[in-house]
Amino acid sequence: MPKIRSRLIVALTLLLLVSNISAQRSAVDTYAITNARIVTVSGPVIERGTVVIRNGLIAAAGANVNAPPDARVIDGTGLTVYPGLIDSYTDLALPPPAPSPSPSPGGGGGGFFALTAPRPASGPNSTQPPGLQPEVRVEEVIRPGGAEIEASRNIGITTALTAPRSGIWMGQSALINLAGETPQQMIVRSPVAMHVSFTPLRTGTYPGSLMGVFSTLRQMMLDAQRYRDSLQIYERAPRGTRRPDTDRSLEALVPVIEGRMPVVMLANSEREITRALDLATEFRLRLIIAGGREADRVTERLVKQNVPVLLSLNLPRRTTAALPEADPEPMRILRERVEAQQTAGKLAKAGVRFAFQSGDLRDISDLMVNAGRVIENGLTATDALRAFTIWPAEILGVQNQLGSIEAGKIANLTVTRGDLFDRNTRVAHLFIDGRPVDIKPARDSGPAQPTSSEPERSKQ
Amino acid sequence: MKRFIAKLLFLAIIGTLPLNAARAQRQTSQETLIRNATVLTVTRGTLENTDVLLRNGKIAGVGKNLNASANARIIDGTGKFVMPGIIDCHSHSMLDTINEGTLAVTSMVRTEDVLNPNDVDLYRELAGGVTTLNLLHGSANPIGGLNTVVKIKYGRPAREFLFPGAMPGIKFALGENVKRSSTPNLPGVARRYPNTRMGVEEVIRDAFTRARDYKRTWDEYRAAVKNDKNVMPPRRDLQLEPLVEILEGKRYVHAHCYIASEILMLISLADEFGFKIKTFQHALEGYKVAKEIAAHGAGASIFADSWAYKIEAYDAIPYNAAIMTRAGVIVSMNSDSDERARRLNIEAAKAMHWGDLTEEQALKLITLNPAIQLGIQERVGSIEVGKDADIAIWNGHPFSVYSRVDTTIIDGVVYFDRAQDLARRPELAKERTALEQAEPNKPRPHGQSPQTPRRRPSGHEDDDMEKP
Repeated sequence: MPKIRSRLIVALTLLLLVSNISAQRSAVDTYAITNARIVTVSGPVIERGTVVIRNGLIAAAGANVNAPPDARVIDGTGLTVYPGLIDSYTDLALPPPAPSPSPSPGGGGGGFFALTAPRPASGPNSTQPPGLQPEVRVEEVIRPGGAEIEASRNIGITTALTAPRSGIWMGQSALINLAGETPQQMIVRSPVAMHVSFTPLRTGTYPGSLMGVFSTLRQMMLDAQRYRDSLQIYERAPRGTRRPDTDRSLEALVPVIEGRMPVVMLANSEREITRALDLATEFRLRLIIAGGREADRVTERLVKQNVPVLLSLNLPRRTTAALPEADPEPMRILRERVEAQQTAGKLAKAGVRFAFQSGDLRDISDLMVNAGRVIENGLTATDALRAFTIWPAEILGVQNQLGSIEAGKIANLTVTRGDLFDRNTRVAHLFIDGRPVDIKPARDSGPAQPTSSEPERSKQ
Repeated sequence: MKRFIAKLLFLAIIGTLPLNAARAQRQTSQETLIRNATVLTVTRGTLENTDVLLRNGKIAGVGKNLNASANARIIDGTGKFVMPGIIDCHSHSMLDTINEGTLAVTSMVRTEDVLNPNDVDLYRELAGGVTTLNLLHGSANPIGGLNTVVKIKYGRPAREFLFPGAMPGIKFALGENVKRSSTPNLPGVARRYPNTRMGVEEVIRDAFTRARDYKRTWDEYRAAVKNDKNVMPPRRDLQLEPLVEILEGKRYVHAHCYIASEILMLISLADEFGFKIKTFQHALEGYKVAKEIAAHGAGASIFADSWAYKIEAYDAIPYNAAIMTRAGVIVSMNSDSDERARRLNIEAAKAMHWGDLTEEQALKLITLNPAIQLGIQERVGSIEVGKDADIAIWNGHPFSVYSRVDTTIIDGVVYFDRAQDLARRPELAKERTALEQAEPNKPRPHGQSPQTPRRRPSGHEDDDMEKP
């Protein structure tokens, strides 16, 4: 009986494989964009050239490259080809936050709620309460499709880091391409990093304060060190040693404390960033800052400790109307709004590595508008493009696969009519994993973009 | 009344003082000679027409006709009073969070993790002549978090605030706050243990019993691992480690308390485990057990008055400082409030009025005595050659309500200067105008109404306030 079953499995697997291969073969997988301006990022701009895409990869790009005979040719006259843009911090492809989670007995169900619910239920057999479960991985819950992914693609984003939404030890992120039939096809890399926020638990249990958050992070990392050491002792001398309890949470922290997995800490203010830097120093962590609104005030330490920043383009601005009886706004807030636009430029000048991310922008179509504001406030357009392409690729460890137009890299391409950061520019074509993706450019007063700040800008 | 209004106005303006201006004002430690001032040395009496020389962050000379090098800053001290920087032995300024109230024993949490060096309260405290703060965890738990002693180096990064060599400390608390007297009984919500003063004692005894066991476990492990490297290490427990330090005399206990019986309880509990309480904080009934506090070797850090503001403060009397001082207790006046911290000079003066302390005894309440309570008396607390150049220059005697601070200096660096502050205001007004015109600050045509800023009530904060 077992034999028969295994044979059946083998046969089925083969069948699946064959059908997959044939499906790939039957589809067009070679494209050539000709006569286009090509911004390679890795090298000089090619004013008029061809990009060849084959089998999901960039096959060639250059002024003297010819379209292969089997390629579907796209006339790129008047178009500019960029590497696909990377949004380096999102919650794309995650199930929406459940308002009131009901405990789910299923294996994946626990993880689902642990990631999405404001007060999540426990992961399967975790030793830790929700919010303190570093073993959680978004990889297990991402789903293809959805309006948010589409909205991101419409402004030219092909790739995103997607990370758990809540918790102190929030869990582990994945880098995904924003197209694909299955979660497995979307994943470029997983896990990418451990994610940490300094938000206390809201459940009335410890840690309920910012102080408790830091103590908890410390204690769990100390526990992880001991867990690792205990397992090593047990391996050396299993006879005569009491077996250590297994612990998935602590196990997930071992690569973190050994510096093998980077830790992304959400930190916006100067003091939050300083705290993150201090904690990283204390435990020799490979730190990445996410948010980074006041990172320009800590550049010396960021450079010295070689800590990159996933800089949010969710720029603060006044949302309230003018009322004569209202108190004047504090200078601190007035300054903060103005200075947030300058952070990127200052980071670039100071030599801090950074990448752009949408943060929790309510309307993703503001992303490129805000990038434009950042360019008006001291960042060069070249660096702005890098912060959407090669810099995130480097920070997230995928610089050999993504971030520039070079032969052999994944064929993620953003093709625009006009310069990327020009407000009138539209995305004309988008390639993800070498395949064209339908886009509905959002910028020509597209539907369902009510909170865009663009109309406000144009009034001035 | 006019003066009062002027003061209010002054405070209102100070409230809007921006951080960056303070940063720009930052100066390096420059040799400074204050000439011809009245110097309240605290330990060597009041010296008239005296010079004070500050060099390399230290007090380099106190005397007549001192000479300074050519590039020294000269301050004419004629008619002015120089006193040591005020030390506030109970503060929650610059803490982003004050209580970890989820557990009864939170010795693992550290105020040092949540410092906000940009808290404008710090600037206001500098304007009141305060230079050093004992930042304490709140009073929600019998055993609270670890303290941080700082110099108010406003405008500098938080790590530069830390007072080098100050004794590590911890907050304990007894009485109403920890037994949650003011927390309503809500149906379906479990009350946190303890709910009585008996329970408070038991929680502390239990914690120290565990700490003793913890120390023994580690001692045994360290002995065993020498012979057998395969011995499993015990767990490092951040909650118990500070308690072991207390047992070893390496960490000061600052215990929030009010009534006599709980003070005696904690003394006997400390005696049982062989450690000392360094300060009883508030201790408004301390006068009833002044001898016992003195015999234990503890200090008291109190309010000048504040009688009956809560049930356990009903027996408070304004003679508390004087009675305890005469019984041999090291007494300090603290603020426990960002507002009161600006006028600790007046709190000290009250002890001259109520209880007839001498001027020097009263000055010690906010200078040398809190320094002793924090283990920093070799560095600060009096004007003596060799001590840190932490001083405040007043335009009159600091015990007068009409006096104010002109300059506050820490480690030889000016951190508050009234003249500079006033001179900066037109520039700030210009900056505000420019900022308000900037695109991100323009009011939205269809925006929400502005929020009313949340203000903290003035007066008693009694440890439990969270900053907005």
